[in-house]
Amino acid sequence: MTVWPEERVLTAEEASFNTVDMTINIGPQHPATHGVFRMVLTVDGEVVVDCEPYIGYLHRGLEKLTENNDYRQAMGYWDRTDYLAGMCCEGAYCMAVEKLAGISVPERAEYIRVMMMELSRINSHFMFLGAFGADVGSFGTSFVYAWRERERIYDLIEEVSGDRMFPTYFRVGGVTMDLPENFERRCHEVLGSIRQGIEDLDGLLTGNEIFVERCRNLSPLTTERAIALGVTGPILRATGLPWDVRKAEPYSVYDRLDFDIPTGRQGDIFDRYFVRLSEMYQSARIIEQCLQELPKGLVLNPGLPKTLRIDKSECYVRNEGTKGEYGVHAIARGGVKPYRMKLRSPSFCNLSALREMVVGNYLADAIIILGSLDIVLGEVDK
Amino acid sequence: MTQTYPYPTGQQTAAAGLGELVARLAGVETTLAETTTDVDVRVAPSALLALATTLRDHADLRFDFLRNVSGVDYEADGMALKYHLYSFTHGHALQVSVPTAAGHPHVPSLVSLYPAADWFEREASEMFGFQFDGHPNLRNLLLEEDLHIHPLLKAHPLQAAELLQGIESGPPGFTI
Repeated sequence: MTVWPEERVLTAEEASFNTVDMTINIGPQHPATHGVFRMVLTVDGEVVVDCEPYIGYLHRGLEKLTENNDYRQAMGYWDRTDYLAGMCCEGAYCMAVEKLAGISVPERAEYIRVMMMELSRINSHFMFLGAFGADVGSFGTSFVYAWRERERIYDLIEEVSGDRMFPTYFRVGGVTMDLPENFERRCHEVLGSIRQGIEDLDGLLTGNEIFVERCRNLSPLTTERAIALGVTGPILRATGLPWDVRKAEPYSVYDRLDFDIPTGRQGDIFDRYFVRLSEMYQSARIIEQCLQELPKGLVLNPGLPKTLRIDKSECYVRNEGTKGEYGVHAIARGGVKPYRMKLRSPSFCNLSALREMVVGNYLADAIIILGSLDIVLGEVDK
Repeated sequence: MTQTYPYPTGQQTAAAGLGELVARLAGVETTLAETTTDVDVRVAPSALLALATTLRDHADLRFDFLRNVSGVDYEADGMALKYHLYSFTHGHALQVSVPTAAGHPHVPSLVSLYPAADWFEREASEMFGFQFDGHPNLRNLLLEEDLHIHPLLKAHPLQAAELLQGIESGPPGFTI
């Protein structure tokens, strides 16, 4: 006899069946964790009932090392935090030291910095699109598409700074050297191919029914909850709040540039993806404006001492990193070394909200939710 | 897809008059100062929870976002915790300094007010030895779970870090 599942009465034997929650360990070496990150999931059948993230596998003592090196030396450690967008981290570090010491930056250097930071942002978002597509199930296609464009950006960054991932191109008071002669032409070339690349990925992922269905309405986050949990960046903007440090507390020359802050509608996984995708177009727009307005002149403040000594001073400088608010709390108390430098890393804070986002969802979706946070473990673990 | 920007925008400088407003509304004893970027309000650990509640809930302040918590070791001058707050409603930022004694000072946890404080406090606890009263889970976060050293204390040696692997507990700054 056929019975509706809801109407089925369990036999005494079935009712006494003892179910136990199962613990599943994911990581630290696991392709879905995007680095050395471990989470222990407790599952009841297919549904996650608890999630305990474990971090620190990549802890290198950034803050201790910074205290023990002088202002010039310490910078090399900072682009190793968010290694997908090293220039943004350098930018935050240099801004902090400049604020402490009251050093001004030539206008040309500011424009160069903005271009480099936005190129890094595009680079990092490409990484997200590629890896996230792979998480959701497009296997390697999105990854290879994204990698092709990232290679072009890295080539351009190498032409400018001499290095690909860890350029150490910024200096306190400017940038280390001027742009190469053919930069404008090369940059337009790369931007053209970037735009094509974004459109390719847009078609591949946003146009993919399976991708959209898996991400839509998954783990939505409200603006109030996101703020309470300390979540910033594209994830906060996906909830509908157009909050971006570049607009809210403008630094460098961002207040002179014209760009929009893309936002989402309900803070679900798809919105997070879509906000990042839309942001890449805006970054390309910013770079084009910078190329147009790029003033002539010095790229490094000529009045800097050989060894920087900073008297008692304190500041909390924040910039819009690729993952959210990248804050540097710096304290100087005389001498050639920073007394204390604390990194407020956006990935760290976004990841701390993982438990709340994952609990109640399916195990298979936990991987997508983690992917949608776009963490960089170098930044989480410092 | 894009919206206009409804929030007050500001450069990264201390907001004029904010310190006086906080001091007037706080209801606890505070000392005002200014850093290069923010207004600084100093308060004793015992009054922190009351001040934080006012900062978060008062209509003229509405600091709804805890953006950062830093520990600082001032050696002879004791230690301190620095909280960085931001208000999405008013667009102003504030730093709250809490000076403490050296050692393992007790400070009230802000987790009940700001869930974001959870990992920040765990980090400050393992790196400096702060004891956050009322924190639900004050285990090590970045360091090994059974390592009870506080590496960011100034007395802690930099070069000996590798040798400490496997040492379960010990006073900071011992010689090897």
